[in-house]
Amino acid sequence: MQIHDQPQLKAEARNFNFFYGEAQALKKINMPIYDKKVTALIGPSGCGKSTYLRSFNRMHDLYPGNRYEGEIRFFPDNTNLLSPEVDPIEVRMRVGMVFQKPNPFPKTIYENVAYGLRVRGENNKRVLDDKVEQALRGAAIWEEVKDRLQDLAPNLSGGQQQRLCIARALATDPELLLFDEPTSALDPIATGAIEELVHELKKRVTILIVTHNMQQAARVSDYTAYMYLGEMVEFGKTDEIFIKPKDKRTEDYITGRMG
Amino acid sequence: MQPLTTEQVRALIAKGKLKDTLFQALGIIFLAIGVAVIVLLVGDMIIRGSERLTLDFFMNFASRRASQAGILSAWVGSLLVMLVTALAAVPLGVAAGLYLEEYAKRNWVTEIIEINITNLAAVPSIVYGLLSLGIFVYAFGFGQSILTAGLTLALLILPIVIVSTREAIRSIPAMIREGSMAVGATRWQTCRYHIIPYAMPGILTGVIIGLARAIGETAPIITIGALTFIAFLPPVPFTATGAEGATAGLFDWLMSPFTVMPIQIFNWTSRPDPAFEVNAAAAGFVLMVMVLSMNGLAIWLRYRLRKNIKW
Amino acid sequence: MNDSQHLSSQFDEDLSRLRTHVLQMGGLVETQVSGAIDAYTTGEVASVKSIVETDRKVNELEKAIDDDCAHIIAKRQPAASDLRLVLGISKIVTDLERAGDEAKKIAKGVRRIYEAGHMPSQYGVGIRHLAEAALAMVRQALDAFARMDGERALAVIRADNDVDVEFKSIIRQLITHMMEDPRTITTSIEIISIARAIERIGDHAKNISEQVIFVVEGRDIRHNKEAIK
Repeated sequence: MQIHDQPQLKAEARNFNFFYGEAQALKKINMPIYDKKVTALIGPSGCGKSTYLRSFNRMHDLYPGNRYEGEIRFFPDNTNLLSPEVDPIEVRMRVGMVFQKPNPFPKTIYENVAYGLRVRGENNKRVLDDKVEQALRGAAIWEEVKDRLQDLAPNLSGGQQQRLCIARALATDPELLLFDEPTSALDPIATGAIEELVHELKKRVTILIVTHNMQQAARVSDYTAYMYLGEMVEFGKTDEIFIKPKDKRTEDYITGRMG
Repeated sequence: MQPLTTEQVRALIAKGKLKDTLFQALGIIFLAIGVAVIVLLVGDMIIRGSERLTLDFFMNFASRRASQAGILSAWVGSLLVMLVTALAAVPLGVAAGLYLEEYAKRNWVTEIIEINITNLAAVPSIVYGLLSLGIFVYAFGFGQSILTAGLTLALLILPIVIVSTREAIRSIPAMIREGSMAVGATRWQTCRYHIIPYAMPGILTGVIIGLARAIGETAPIITIGALTFIAFLPPVPFTATGAEGATAGLFDWLMSPFTVMPIQIFNWTSRPDPAFEVNAAAAGFVLMVMVLSMNGLAIWLRYRLRKNIKW
Repeated sequence: MNDSQHLSSQFDEDLSRLRTHVLQMGGLVETQVSGAIDAYTTGEVASVKSIVETDRKVNELEKAIDDDCAHIIAKRQPAASDLRLVLGISKIVTDLERAGDEAKKIAKGVRRIYEAGHMPSQYGVGIRHLAEAALAMVRQALDAFARMDGERALAVIRADNDVDVEFKSIIRQLITHMMEDPRTITTSIEIISIARAIERIGDHAKNISEQVIFVVEGRDIRHNKEAIK
C-alpha cells in the first residue's frame, strides 16, 4: 500500500480498552477509520465488535459500570470521543447509528425522520419538510412512502423500517454512520437494498459496519477488521483480507474453520 | 429402540389427551364456582335493593327515615375525593416511577427505596388512616375534609401508581430508548417524546385500578373522621354559601366535611331498623357498578391507546 | 496452506475430493508424457494408442473438476486459502489438460516418423534430454501441488529456463541438419514440432507451479521475473 493512495483519516482508535465492570471486553485496539470509506468489523459472536462499534457514539454511557480507556480520535478536529470532557450527546450529534433490529418509533414516518431535527430545536415546518424529504431520498425510501408520511412507521415492512431508520440517522447529517448488523433481521432482497444503499451512502459519509455475514463484509466494505476475543487481530483492505489474510486466525474464521 | 407402531402412537396420544380433558373439566368447574359466587352476591344485592334504586335515591340526602334516605352526599363525596386522590397521586407517582427507571443510579439507596415502595403497597390501609390523622388533620390542619381524605387515599395508591408506571416503562424496549439517544436526544427529550407517551396506557391502567381500590376503602376514611351523616353538599365554587351571603372560593369545597359511599353503607348496615339494610344493599350495588365501570374504563383505555404503539 | 478442519465436514470432503481428482488427473498426464518419451526412444508405436485413449480420460476429468469448482464456489463461497485453492485448481487443470494434448501430439508425431521408416532417435540425445527435463518439471509441479510446497514450485519455475535454452539449441542443431542434408527436412520438421511440444509441456508445468505458489502464498508471480529470483 503506497502512501499517496492512503485516504484521509476520519477517526482512529488508539490503545483503546473497554471494560464492562471488571471484565475487559476490548484490549488495546489500534485502528484507523478512513474518510468516506466503508469499514467492516467481522468476528465470531462475543468478540467485541458490537461493543467496539457502540463506543463510537458513547452508547455505553447509557448503562452504569462501563469504562473506556485510551482514545478514539475524531477528525478533522482531533477530538477524543471518549474524553470525559466531551458530552456523549455532542458525540451522538456527529455520529449516527442504525441498529440490528429496525427500531422505528411508534410514531408517523414523518415524525421518525424529523425527530433528530426536533431534538436540535428545529421546529420550522418548511425546514423540517425539506430535510425529511432529503433524508428519505438519501435512504432510497422516498418513492415508497412519499404519499403516506403520516402513516405509522411500524406498519412498514422490515426492510422499509430499516431504511427509515437510516433516513432518521441521515436527517441530521452525521459525519460517521454506525451500522450494527443492519440486515440480520431482513430477508435477502431487503438485505440487498440496504447493501446497495451503503454503497451509495459512502459518497457522503464514513461508514463503520458490524456484520456476521462475511460475504456482506466482502461485498460492501473497503476495509475489514477481524476481531477475536476483544482484540483486533487484523486490519486491512477488504480485497487483501478475503484473498490473502496475514493472520492464521483471520484465515480460519473467514474460511469457516474451527479456531 | 423399536419404532412405535401406529396403534401404539395413537394409544399414547389418547392417554395424554385424557389428562387434557380432565384438567379442562376441573378448570371449568372451579371457574363456575367463582363466577357463581359473584353472580349470587350481586344478584342478592339487586333483588334486595331494587325497590330503592330510583332517581330519588341518588338525589336525596341521608335521612332518619329509611324510605327517604339517599346517597347524594355519598356519591358526590366519593367522586370529589377520587378527584383529589388522582390529582395528587398521578403526578407524584409517575414522576417517582420515571425517576427510578430512567434517572436513578443503581445503588443501595435506590435499592432501599424500591424495597420500601413494594412494601408500602402491603401496608394495611388503616395505618395510612392513622398517619393522615397525625399529619394532615392535626399537623397541617386540613381537618376532616375532602382534601385530607383525598391525600390519604393518594398515599394509599401511590405505590400502585409507581409500580405500574415502572412496569409500563420497563415494557418499552431498550432499543427505542437507544434509538432516541442515538440521534443526540437528552434523557428528558427521550422521556418527553417517547417514554411517557408509550408508557401512558400502562400508567393509566394502574391509576384507574388504584382509584378503584381507593373508592371502596373505608378504614382510613373512618380513621380521619369522615362524618356518617351529612345532609349538605360541599360548596360549589362562586355560589352563595349559607346565610351570610358570602361567595364560596374556588377551593372551598376541599375543606368541606363529607361522607363517601362505603361509609354510608357501613352506617346503614349498623342501624337496627331492617329497612336500612335495603338501602345498604342498593348503595352496595351502586358502589359495585362504580368500581366495575372504572375497571372497564381501564381496559378500554389500554386497548385504545395501545393500538398505535407497537414495536 | 491451512490444514485445520472446516466447521462443515462436507466442505472438507468436497475440497479433498477436488484435490484427489487433480492429482489423479496429474498422474494420467504424467503417464502420457512419459509414454510419449518412451515411444520416441523405443519406437513402440502400440503405446501411442494408449496415450490417445488416456487423453479421453484426462478430458473427462478436466470437465468433472471444473464442474466441482463451480459447485464449490456457488455453494460455499470459499474465501482466502479455500478461494485460492479453487481458483488455482481451475487453472491447473487447464494446463494439465493441455500438457496431455502436447503428449498426444508427440505420440502422433513419433508414429508418423516411424511410419515413414525413420528412427527419430537418430536425431540425437538432445530431444530425449529435453523430454526428461520436462517430465521432471511435470512431476515436481504435481509434487509441489500435492504437498502445497512453494519452494519446490519455485524450483520448477527456475528449471523452465534451462528447458527453454535447451530447446533453442536443439532447434539450431536441427536447422544445421536440414541445411546440410535437405532429405531430412520432412523428419526434421516433425522433430521440431515434437521439441516444441516438449517445450510447451515445460511451460505448462511452470504455469502449474505458479498457481501452486498463488494457492500457498497468495502471491501472483506470473510475468514477474523479480519474484522468481
